[in-house]
Amino acid sequence: MRRPSGWHLVLIPLAILMGLPLIWMVITSLSSIADTRRFPPGLPSSLHFANYVHAWTLSPFARWLWNSTLVSVTCVVSNLVLCSLAGYAFARLRFPGSRIAFFGILATLMVPFQVVMIPTLLIVKHLGLVDTLPALVAPNLATPFGIYLLRQFFVTLPVELEEAALIDGAGRLRILRSILLPLMGPPLTTVAVLTFLTVWNDFLWPLVVISTPDRFTVQLGLATFQSAHFVQWPLLMAGTVISQLPVLALFVAGQRFFVSSIANTGIK
Amino acid sequence: MITPSVLLIGLFGLVPVVWAFILSFQHNDLQTQPTWAGFGNYREMFADPTFRDSVKNTVIYTVLFVPITLALSLLAAAALNRKIRGITVYRVAVFIPVVTSTVATGVIFTWLLDPEFGLVNSVITKIGLPRLGFFADPHQALYAVVVMTVWGWVGFGALIYLAGLQGVPRDLVEAALIDGCSKRGAFWRIQVPLMRPVSGFLLVWLTINALQLFDEVFVTTKGGPLHATTVVVYYLYLQAFSFFHAGYAAAIAVFLFVVIAVITFVQLRLTRDSSMSGERP
Amino acid sequence: MGAVSGRRRRRGTAAMATLILMGGVAAACSSGSGSDGGTTITVSHGYTAVEARAIKAEAAQWNKMHPDTKVNLVFNGGNDSALQKTVAGFQAGNYPDVAYEYGSSAAQLAKQPKLIDLTDKVKSAAMNWNDFYPSEREAATVNGKVVGVPALVDNLALVYNKKLFQQAGVALPTSSWSWQDFRTAAKKLTDPSTHTYGWAYINDGSEDTVWRFIAMLWQAGGDLLTPDNSKPAFDNKAGLAALTQLYNMAVVDKSVYLDTGNDNYGNLFNSGKIAMLWTGPWDLSSINSDVEYGVTYLPGYNGDHETISGPDLYMLFDHSAGRSDTAFKFASWLTSPKVHLQFAIKTGDLPLRQSETKLPAYQTFLKKYPAEKLFVNNLNNVKHVRPNIANYAEVSTAVGQMVQSVLLGQAQPAAALKSGAAQVASALAGS
Repeated sequence: MRRPSGWHLVLIPLAILMGLPLIWMVITSLSSIADTRRFPPGLPSSLHFANYVHAWTLSPFARWLWNSTLVSVTCVVSNLVLCSLAGYAFARLRFPGSRIAFFGILATLMVPFQVVMIPTLLIVKHLGLVDTLPALVAPNLATPFGIYLLRQFFVTLPVELEEAALIDGAGRLRILRSILLPLMGPPLTTVAVLTFLTVWNDFLWPLVVISTPDRFTVQLGLATFQSAHFVQWPLLMAGTVISQLPVLALFVAGQRFFVSSIANTGIK
Repeated sequence: MITPSVLLIGLFGLVPVVWAFILSFQHNDLQTQPTWAGFGNYREMFADPTFRDSVKNTVIYTVLFVPITLALSLLAAAALNRKIRGITVYRVAVFIPVVTSTVATGVIFTWLLDPEFGLVNSVITKIGLPRLGFFADPHQALYAVVVMTVWGWVGFGALIYLAGLQGVPRDLVEAALIDGCSKRGAFWRIQVPLMRPVSGFLLVWLTINALQLFDEVFVTTKGGPLHATTVVVYYLYLQAFSFFHAGYAAAIAVFLFVVIAVITFVQLRLTRDSSMSGERP
Repeated sequence: MGAVSGRRRRRGTAAMATLILMGGVAAACSSGSGSDGGTTITVSHGYTAVEARAIKAEAAQWNKMHPDTKVNLVFNGGNDSALQKTVAGFQAGNYPDVAYEYGSSAAQLAKQPKLIDLTDKVKSAAMNWNDFYPSEREAATVNGKVVGVPALVDNLALVYNKKLFQQAGVALPTSSWSWQDFRTAAKKLTDPSTHTYGWAYINDGSEDTVWRFIAMLWQAGGDLLTPDNSKPAFDNKAGLAALTQLYNMAVVDKSVYLDTGNDNYGNLFNSGKIAMLWTGPWDLSSINSDVEYGVTYLPGYNGDHETISGPDLYMLFDHSAGRSDTAFKFASWLTSPKVHLQFAIKTGDLPLRQSETKLPAYQTFLKKYPAEKLFVNNLNNVKHVRPNIANYAEVSTAVGQMVQSVLLGQAQPAAALKSGAAQVASALAGS
């Protein structure tokens, strides 16, 4: 029998420190409004599971979740495909202007969204997409971050892996698909999780581009539990917990995948 | 191969940036007809004491946030890179702050760090330390924001470093151990140096984000008290959407862009190794 | 050779795919909302919870009565984001017909070319413009132009925890309390050992920090700006008196809890940690049922118990003649005496019109919200309004910094006044 590792002594406090907000959110979500209107906050006198039911039924929560999921998943899939292609091209293909293009892409990360919000809105308007779900997807189809991450990944892979196939006359796309794809688990998972997270948690862009309540995302919908002077904390937290669970679930699935994919890597 | 991404980023990324650049030369309140300002906004910017403060605050913040987060992420990744029972739970727990919405993070830290009733002060006063003001004290607020954001980002850094650590070939480490190297020695002398590209990536990414800090300030201190936590992007937002000096805000954004571009370029050069040039026949 | 043509083919396919994707996306998008024709109008608002249900009921009532000029309610993401969303909306051609906006946004939106000037429309007998309380009419007027219809009115009064007073053996506040009475009571009610404070003040540097100070400034006979709104007018005896009172209470007596946001003070009041608040009717519904509280006028200076009001507006924007007409009809209907009283009874909002207090249903309102009686009477204590200028936000920020620096003990009142006035002067001069 193996002795439990001493590392638990380090990891447990770390986990608690990091997990504190989730614990607090769950406690608040099970409290009554009166409980949350005390300071400092304490444990609720009784558990109000009804808050979850209310958050779900008093508002089109299911619709919001559906909208957010549709938009986020589309962006993830599109990013995985487009960023892999672009990342590979920047890493392996030499073409005029590649450095400039790459820095150009990186440059768009350097301007805060608050500044480009209005012109982005104008572009979306000209595409006829205002107040539609595609408007939420379009600016996020290929993120510079994803291209950067995948380019860095490809650059660290030894070229020898592809050389043999190249000599045999295989096309780049074929190489990408059959030789490199199995190795791309970790960066792809990272891009997937982070794209999902960014799109799922975005508030400002959906705020300015969507007006119809049926097309709200979860974050925008959660704002209906808040107002200038009064926040319905239990409902808001119940809603927030519900909305954070998919991302956490994705992460749990993702991190397991990346561990196993690394274990299967054939780099020797 | 790259055309679709380039087109998309060109449209949604570069076009707005160019628009913002043009806007910086205008007096524009987003409502009425804009007028030409030439370099007026830029001159005003350099003479503006609040702007200078915001730059100072942003620099202090970045210089603290980036190295601390890098170091703690590395250590966390090392702690999480084990095959012990329950490791998935720990990994998920460490990642929770990254997933938590900024609103929830802001509320939690405002409570934890409340000078009167917060948990942190009740603990430190019990062990005899003086009570701290945190978000309420103009001299401490920025550091409290550093703590809050480091907490929020360590999970992300740990995830990236974890992937990096697991990408280091096992046999290299084993060979070192056989040669008499300690586990800790192997970590610092073999694994960490091999992760230079990962560190480089994180350095650039964290710096770009630190220089653009906004959300966390917005949900806690709103730039205060007394502008102690007013960072560049927060000041820009205030100018654009509270005061409606959109042209001025754009000038600030252009300045920030130039600074970030220069810093990123320098960082990429410094952390470059032969595999970074990316050009292959 | 094979590789080159292969690459070109791949690039071509990818480009095609993107174009198809974008085309498909554009085609699949709905025909768009907020189309220019038609007679349905869009009304954006930030109401939540009880108020949201009430406004939905009102809209449903209207829609039943007017099936060919329907109203479509849209949530604006929260009133704090309303101004931003409206302004962004103009850029995209995606703006509502009627928008609920904070009174402080009025001057900014007054510049909007699409705004409907209501100056002549409100003169109609049916509108009975003078029936609205004076502070609302002033908030709705920018440079002589009427830019909106009042949507909400409130004011600041003194709300106190009866039990804490009894426990400390301090006499309950009265409507004739002076600043000195207030200060003395707060000091007696403060107990560091139990973390109890006499008063709470929102000290985040925002308008919340500013408008309480302004009430004191007015009581002391001063004003924020000169009558022509061109220069600061608070660097004088009145300003000094107000700032000194704040300094004495916060820094000398240490009887004030300084809230860095606007969340904690309410919760602390509910937990019996704060004895007195200067707040409005919006906070009453957040007070827990186990807290026995009272409401009285603000403490006064030399007998002046003036208070401050923060009216919000429905602002109307032009799409087409038909829609503008419907928009005005709807806004007038919504704010007409009987309809608004119905809304007030459901939500606890104060009556907008003096005539509402004469309607029989007003008794129902008073019975449901007994504490609000004083707030309604307090509306008569509103004598001044804040300057309705486009760059009020900058003035407010400067004054907020000034008040914050005094409360935090970082500046003495006289020095803070000087630098605050200088900041306001430069904000007014620039722009």
